[in-house]
Amino acid sequence: MTASASALFDETAARARAEGRLILTEEESKSILQEQGIQVTMPTLASSADEAASAAENIGYPVVMKVSSREITHKSDVGGVKLGIADADAARAAYDEIVASAKAAEPSAAIDGVTVQSQAPGGGVEVIVGMTRDHQFGPVIMFGLGGIAVEVLQDVAFRIAPLTKRDAGAIVREIKGYPLLTGHRATQAVDLEALEGVIGAVSAFVSETSGVAEMDLNPVLAYADGTIAVDARIVLTAD
Amino acid sequence: MDATRKANLDRAFNPQVIAVVGDKKITDYMWLKSVRDAKAKVVSVQIDENEIPGILEMGFENYPSLADVPGQVDYVIVAVPRPVAPRIVKDAIDVGAGAAALFTSGFAETGEEQGVQLQDALTQMTHEANFNLVGPNCMCLYHSKTGIRNSADQWIGEGGDIGFMSNSGTHATSFVMRARNNGLFPLKSISMGNSISVDQGDWLEYLGDDPEVKSIGMYVEGTRDGRKFFEALRDVAARKPVVIWKGGQTREGARAAASHTGHLASDMALWDAMIRQTGAIRVDTQDELMDAFKALHFMKPFTGNRMGIVAQTGGQSVLVSDAFGREGLTVPDLTQESYDILEPIVTVVGGSYKNPLDVSGSLTSIERGREMLDTLAADTNTDIIVIEASIGFISRRLERQGKTMDDLIDMFKEFQESTDKPFGVIATWNQDEAALAEFRIKIADRGVAVFPSFQDAARAIRRLREYYVTQAELAAGSQGPWRSRRRGRRH
Repeated sequence: MTASASALFDETAARARAEGRLILTEEESKSILQEQGIQVTMPTLASSADEAASAAENIGYPVVMKVSSREITHKSDVGGVKLGIADADAARAAYDEIVASAKAAEPSAAIDGVTVQSQAPGGGVEVIVGMTRDHQFGPVIMFGLGGIAVEVLQDVAFRIAPLTKRDAGAIVREIKGYPLLTGHRATQAVDLEALEGVIGAVSAFVSETSGVAEMDLNPVLAYADGTIAVDARIVLTAD
Repeated sequence: MDATRKANLDRAFNPQVIAVVGDKKITDYMWLKSVRDAKAKVVSVQIDENEIPGILEMGFENYPSLADVPGQVDYVIVAVPRPVAPRIVKDAIDVGAGAAALFTSGFAETGEEQGVQLQDALTQMTHEANFNLVGPNCMCLYHSKTGIRNSADQWIGEGGDIGFMSNSGTHATSFVMRARNNGLFPLKSISMGNSISVDQGDWLEYLGDDPEVKSIGMYVEGTRDGRKFFEALRDVAARKPVVIWKGGQTREGARAAASHTGHLASDMALWDAMIRQTGAIRVDTQDELMDAFKALHFMKPFTGNRMGIVAQTGGQSVLVSDAFGREGLTVPDLTQESYDILEPIVTVVGGSYKNPLDVSGSLTSIERGREMLDTLAADTNTDIIVIEASIGFISRRLERQGKTMDDLIDMFKEFQESTDKPFGVIATWNQDEAALAEFRIKIADRGVAVFPSFQDAARAIRRLREYYVTQAELAAGSQGPWRSRRRGRRH
């Protein structure tokens, strides 16, 4: 792990543990991954409708807005995610709707506000890159089709960390959905080297540090010219 | 495992004195009988007055304790009741045995408190003494060269070259028996039992370092130290083939996970990952284990996937192509040169000189069969040659020519030696199952890979191909871990 990613992880983990949390927020998780060299859509926290609009103006449209609460882990289940927000008025309206909807669904949850982030361009293939710490093997890395496909199809492959270059290449090619990555009909082949780079960076990160129990980058959008992790979650070990 | 432990294990596998503690009439003195043909002095330790006469009758010396046995004891087999076991293991440590194998069961595998406590005591005792305990709850050690066995029914003799290790005593024992019936020569078979002192990683490393072990097989249900096992496997699989048969494949790990990754990381998914990373060979049944070893030991190495096939009938031709196709192997067109040779010799109406050769009635003689195989082997479009031999079909014709199935098997052997391409025989169904079994054993005894069905042959060949391809990839690339690239802060 890079020195800055390491420092940021330690600092973030210590703060989260002090607050009694083992699950890092999307913002925290993405900041660490960004330091590790992984492209992410970085969220900006807004605590009012006006702040949301101004953040959206800065980022550029379209944007995605998500409820920010350390007590809500499944944001879309509480109506806490809105996509395709195209202007400042829509951002203001989305802020109010998200907060109202999350409060209605989880009245006891403390809500920090709403995050605003760039909406990744269309045309990418959704994949998942993940890690978990196995009781026998220690850190292991997973790759597969992402988004909701991971829940429905479970088209995934594993490697025990640390991965070699060959492992990163092989894990991508092992899944049944691999042809979706190499281009079919009108779609372009994705940048496999960049994708393997994300897998390698996650492997390096978890192999060179302790304290991460689980991690999902889901989805990572894979394009013809690079990748963007649009959601991410790092879970800390209980000890 | 340190050098002392390793040297002590060597001493136990090559003993001068073997002591069997607590063998009984009710089990037909199974442990004394298992080692009575060993190239070692075998003595009994037994204090039960009712058991001693039977032991003396068999001609063994009997002593009241291990400490009373004259000379250095190298290998101790312990078959005493559970409560006494720790004391006997302590004695084995005190007399400086190379290893003790504890047949006695009733430890942590029971899940009950007393068993767990006794196992903990044994673990502590053996760790403190840096002592090699095999088991508990195991069928001990087998070494064909020195004649120590898991069971008196096992073959012993010279020429063994396969090492096997097993979580299950049944499979440690039966591997040896089945391997011999498949033309293979086991060297060492280890029943690991609860493996509290010498664990899976240690055994793998031990077999990996044994220069007489050419290939390694294992039946495993799990490993306490997966990281150590992974490192050992990566090291050993790069040097010699390792075939892994994993039991408990559908067992769900108890995982309370907050991520998709954590939910999906099943035990088998991770074993499968490890096998792919290290270039080991996965099998799922004991039959597949045997097929993999036959292919490893008898077939020449290959990385190609193009089959050249001789089948007996049209119906079989279709099925054999299906079977190989399902495993990602191809059955290509042959060169015109081959067709020119084959057309005049595959003459029966309805037969085909295309690949697979549907020889129907055209396999009229052993020479004709050899000609077909030679043509397939010489063809530049093939990588692997197999022939279907359904014996009822062929044997009647051979009989009329005054030939036997042995002559046919000789031809297989001669053909195999004449070509660089890997070769296998598929001995399919026959009305006479006993004759079929004999035919298969005879082929295997000549060192020719024989498979019971198209599917089995196709699966074994696919797995071996993956193995050779992976090994080539591993050898070609630098295999260092992926490291972080240093980068500046982005602002």
